[in-house]
Amino acid sequence: LEVIVRNFLLCLSALLGLFSAATVSTSAQDDESRIKVRVNLVQLNVAVTDKDGNYVTGLLPQDFAIAEDNIPQKIATFEEGGEPPHSASDVAAGAQATVAPAVEAGSMSPAGDSTVKVSPFTDANVFVLFDTSNYMYRGFIFAQDAIAGFVRSLQGASKVALYSYSRNLSRVAPLTADREQVLEGVRSTVAGDSAALYNCLLLTVKDAARVTGRKVIVVFSNGPDDSSVVPPEVVAELAQSTGTVIYMVSTREAETEPISTAVFERMSKATGGKAYFAKNWEDETKAFASIRDDLAHLYSISYYPAPNPNRGWRSVSVKLVGKDKQKYRIRTRDGYRLQQVKVSEEDLTGFGGEDRVQ
Amino acid sequence: MRFALPQSLLLAIAASSCFTANQLSFAGVSRAVLPRAMMNASEPRRNNPSPPDMVVIPGPQKSFLRMAGISQQVPPEEVIPELARAISRIGYSRAYGQLHETEYLLLLRRYVHQARELQELAGPAGVISVEHCADAGPLLQVLGYRLRKPCGQKDTSLEPNGPENAFLTVDSGFPLTQLEGALQNDTSFQYPYRSSRVPSLFKPADWTSVSQQRGISREDLLDVLLGDQRFAGLYWAFSRLDPETATVLQRSVGLVNLLPYASVLEYYGTQISVRSGRVLVPGGSTAQSAWTGIVGVSPLSAGDFIFALLKQDRGWMALYFDTVARVNKAQQARFVQGNRLRRCYDALMERGTKVAAGEGSFRKAPGLLLLFSRQQWLADGQPRIPGNIELWKAVLGKRGRRVNTPEQIFEAMVASSRLDTDEGPLQVYLALSELDMARSPQRSISPAILQVMATSFAQFGSWYPIFNEFPELSEVSITRFLHVAESLDRIQNLELRGNALGIMQANIGLWQILARQGEIPVDQLDSSWRKVIDPFYEVALPVQVFNAGDKSLDTLMLTVTPNGNLSQNELIDLLAGPPQKTAEGKRIRAEVAHRMRLVMEDQRLTPIDTLLELGHGLNAMAHGDNQREKTLALAADLRQFEMPRKIFTENEKIEWVPGYLRQNHANVEMHTDLVKVIQQPASAEKLESARGQLVPFLRDTLVGLNYAYYEPPGSQILHINPLFVRSHDFSALTVVGVEHVWQPSTVFGAGLSAGGGAYLVGSLSDLPYVLAASEQNFIAPESLQALIWQEMVPSLLASATIARWWNISPRELHAVALYQKSGEELLALSATNPQLREQVLAILSERMPPQEIERLTVSLQGKDSAEEIARLLPADTFYLASQYHEHFPHNNSVLGPSNQALDKLEQQGDIRSKKVSRDFGIPHPVLAQTYGRELLSSQPFPAFAGTCDRLLGESWDSNNLYWARIADQLEDSPEALNILSPQLTRLMIAKIFASNVEDWSALSRAMRAAGDEFLQEKAKSTPRTDTTAQR
Repeated sequence: LEVIVRNFLLCLSALLGLFSAATVSTSAQDDESRIKVRVNLVQLNVAVTDKDGNYVTGLLPQDFAIAEDNIPQKIATFEEGGEPPHSASDVAAGAQATVAPAVEAGSMSPAGDSTVKVSPFTDANVFVLFDTSNYMYRGFIFAQDAIAGFVRSLQGASKVALYSYSRNLSRVAPLTADREQVLEGVRSTVAGDSAALYNCLLLTVKDAARVTGRKVIVVFSNGPDDSSVVPPEVVAELAQSTGTVIYMVSTREAETEPISTAVFERMSKATGGKAYFAKNWEDETKAFASIRDDLAHLYSISYYPAPNPNRGWRSVSVKLVGKDKQKYRIRTRDGYRLQQVKVSEEDLTGFGGEDRVQ
Repeated sequence: MRFALPQSLLLAIAASSCFTANQLSFAGVSRAVLPRAMMNASEPRRNNPSPPDMVVIPGPQKSFLRMAGISQQVPPEEVIPELARAISRIGYSRAYGQLHETEYLLLLRRYVHQARELQELAGPAGVISVEHCADAGPLLQVLGYRLRKPCGQKDTSLEPNGPENAFLTVDSGFPLTQLEGALQNDTSFQYPYRSSRVPSLFKPADWTSVSQQRGISREDLLDVLLGDQRFAGLYWAFSRLDPETATVLQRSVGLVNLLPYASVLEYYGTQISVRSGRVLVPGGSTAQSAWTGIVGVSPLSAGDFIFALLKQDRGWMALYFDTVARVNKAQQARFVQGNRLRRCYDALMERGTKVAAGEGSFRKAPGLLLLFSRQQWLADGQPRIPGNIELWKAVLGKRGRRVNTPEQIFEAMVASSRLDTDEGPLQVYLALSELDMARSPQRSISPAILQVMATSFAQFGSWYPIFNEFPELSEVSITRFLHVAESLDRIQNLELRGNALGIMQANIGLWQILARQGEIPVDQLDSSWRKVIDPFYEVALPVQVFNAGDKSLDTLMLTVTPNGNLSQNELIDLLAGPPQKTAEGKRIRAEVAHRMRLVMEDQRLTPIDTLLELGHGLNAMAHGDNQREKTLALAADLRQFEMPRKIFTENEKIEWVPGYLRQNHANVEMHTDLVKVIQQPASAEKLESARGQLVPFLRDTLVGLNYAYYEPPGSQILHINPLFVRSHDFSALTVVGVEHVWQPSTVFGAGLSAGGGAYLVGSLSDLPYVLAASEQNFIAPESLQALIWQEMVPSLLASATIARWWNISPRELHAVALYQKSGEELLALSATNPQLREQVLAILSERMPPQEIERLTVSLQGKDSAEEIARLLPADTFYLASQYHEHFPHNNSVLGPSNQALDKLEQQGDIRSKKVSRDFGIPHPVLAQTYGRELLSSQPFPAFAGTCDRLLGESWDSNNLYWARIADQLEDSPEALNILSPQLTRLMIAKIFASNVEDWSALSRAMRAAGDEFLQEKAKSTPRTDTTAQR
């Protein structure tokens, strides 16, 4: 759940002196008797493609029908690719949907030599999670190189972070607009130790959850996990609930590691991302180019949920309106779990439970 | 380069027992708090300090340390010793009797080769210089890279060209990004690339002449270290000796002669100390003849004595010497009485020398050190034996036929220390001895009950520490516990048995928390214990289990509150801490309770009041009362729990997770529909049995309260996987090979991606530790190569969650800070006062190994004592001051302001060292077999295999003292430590950057850095938003 806390009613109430700001609040729809109201903005990143995987651009808010637990929702903001967000009502009518060719394996150039024209994107926060476990040992330098190429190519993304993982997470380069810092981080990673992918992905999702705006995690992994104590499904669920898109690039062929393959495909799909299985360096760079292309073509649509008594998992469906658009395919997260948001009192130490970012 | 044992090996270590598993790496020597003096062999530092000889390391030191897996924070003089240790311990592996070089060593060698090549390129100026892109060829060739596109193109970049070299380049941290930028822009690239020089122990030539390994260069100490395991081990062992001892050994025995015994010296050499030409033997001068008798050489002939000690009995004699030397002086004096020293050694050697003490990856016989450290003595000098002779005859079996006196029983225990078992006679003896020791004569346990406990040890032994922590529990209560526990084991249905075990153990856990926090009156501890466990006796049906859990909890609540019948919120408040009077105390207590509620919420557990009310409602309906509507609403609440969204099908789980069964418990809950039962016409029997369906829910909620109380700082599983508590397997349904379900839990399922996450199998007896072990790897190290050491971190985390500070006065908190300052003050004054110096060093010698005492002595005699004093551990300075004030009470007035202030506080009578020890100490569940807290005055324990690796963590008792000093400095309330301690401990762990598992100086640095950061951050606190994603 992308929880963008809109405190306008909170402020109004505070002005009226009705309650203390230190109390725990719940959403209005959970408890109508409470005065304090929190409105949660749900943000969806939506990819629309044709049957060949080409991106469909130029769609308008009215082309989308969104429902949550089958309750129709009203779009609040709408954004295509890297354009700045607009109020849905501000988006001019009359534009035509067009199809932009997706980056395909046969037409791609190596990283750092992007000849494919991609739309710019400026507001994405990209967390790269790099497998530096023993599993990655043999391909480590090539992996590092591919990631460096990917980071270089993210010219439009507002911020990039580089994390690495083995048994523990290492926040090598914090979320920053400084590409050189991230590249140095890439080059400073070290290989070794067991692999706890889902533990570390969980921590990365949590870091991403603290960031406002569009956020994606690009996992670059050999696949196997021999140490995680959390299962992938709860990590996927949290990513869905925090509106974080996960792309997963495996350095193995899909058939060699069926469990990881299943997780990579399903987790990325559940969050609106994609999985890639790149058995060599060329495939890895192509995968990265494809991710970059995907990021540039995502529609970002948000809405304030209509009243809904369901406090658990809420399913989300996004459909295109109009017969002529039914031929297109939609990829986005399929729901989220409503979380109770609490405003704690002043933290006793000033640096309580958060994981620290270097 | 970051390296580690394979996970399978680590799991094997974790699963092995305290007294077994001697085959793996990271064996121990004494702690290395601070660097040893590096000096020329012929000129000991205390006499004539001179510049040390140096070893040349090619390339930047930072790169070398990365490749060698050594902390970037080590001082230069520790670089070669740490390298030697790493080569000795992880540079080789043994398979099929053959020694093989590990990848670690191969990479390190390749790196040294590459660094030398780069150094040649750097030339005499020591700078790698590339003026133009076109000139980069030679450098790129060494680095293993090439340009993707020709020079001058903006978008060119580097790509690997020679994988082996390229790996070394990136792994050693070569500034590839800067080089790439320079090549892209065709600008100059300059990189200082000078060799590093670090101190050597003795002259390098003294060492290089020693190695007998063929095929390696003997010109360079670094090359010799990289090529010879024994040599590396010997170097490391020597680096842990004090200068005088090292000099004597080198001169009179010779490095060549010591080489075959390098591993013995490595493991068991740190307590050997030579002064004025003679060996200081454990037990002092009166023990010289006894040691002469055992070793066959007089300690007055230092070199010969040590050489004989090392080479005899395949290292067992050295192990024995080391063990006796590690215990405090009072204990040592006991061992040298009569011919005990000889007899105990003979007992130790009963099992012969087939297994060498110096082989393998860990020290041997940890039980011997435990026995010698903890043995109690009677006034007549005899060992204090729990129970009677007959008891131990029975425990010892055949060996028991030969024992007829306490002395013989003790010797039999010495012999047992070599058995690789967790359930042998020695383990029973240690457990019952601690129990016996904790009790006054009036509360001593009869031999008959001890016999029962000995017989049940394998099954229930892990629960005995609770009788140690609370000596108020009578032997009737102990017996009752055993009977009830046995009766639960007779429940045939494993699911029900698991639920019954979970509910009873959870209620005992709640009792323990409330008792520890003083919320159960002391005079009601015994009676309330029985009331908590009695209801579970011989329960056999689900409804009986529910009723027992209900009654047990109800009576516990009646003990701690006037009217019982608490809501879950009220229960959590009570568990968070006793009611507070001050606003600050109330605020802290609310914060602790809030953390607990978050766990209960994130585990999506049904509130206890809902469950009990529902149970009562069903009961009332069965008896004809019309509570249908209310009960229906409650029953609907049960169905609010949602499982996480599935990512695998059931078939996939069955295929990919061997023995997949374990979500049965949660599935049963998912399929429980009491609404249907209530809505349909039902007989009294049916309504009655419906209560039995609440049993799984009741178990989860009660167990969840225990988990929530012991939540480790920075925990993630508790907040993200709602199946974690539900998956706890109390009856070992999901695994094969767990025989004793009452033993401490083990973490299962880590790394099984389709398995639904890790979970615990076993009992709640050691919950704080096992939760900490489960969650430890979520702490992200701040340094890139730092590992979260699994041998140390769970103990640090568990100590931080068990300790609570609700009954501490501000004066006591201030006293804790004053003790530390007073210790520092005493040391500073002793620099100019020889008599005081002698006194303080004598006190500290109980806690510090001889070489550290020697280093401190040299420091206090010199001009650099202030820095050395500042580095001393808080536990050392605390111990020094408390002992000094106890032994020299009349000297304090002439001392500095801290000692005078402390003196004043002590004279006012409300500061008792025993209470301070209990309030600011740490639990020692392995060493002292109790979760009761205590500050111990012993030397740090070395690393052992299996669960005995916890002794290492239990030796670190500085955190609480240091956090208290910080709180006192900030004028925080003592209650604030309930929040500060876990948070600071977590922060400290993230800052640990250790070179090896016994790197105590790394802990000290991390602790102080955490304190400093906290003080800096203190002023920056801001409100924060707290969601599940952020917990």
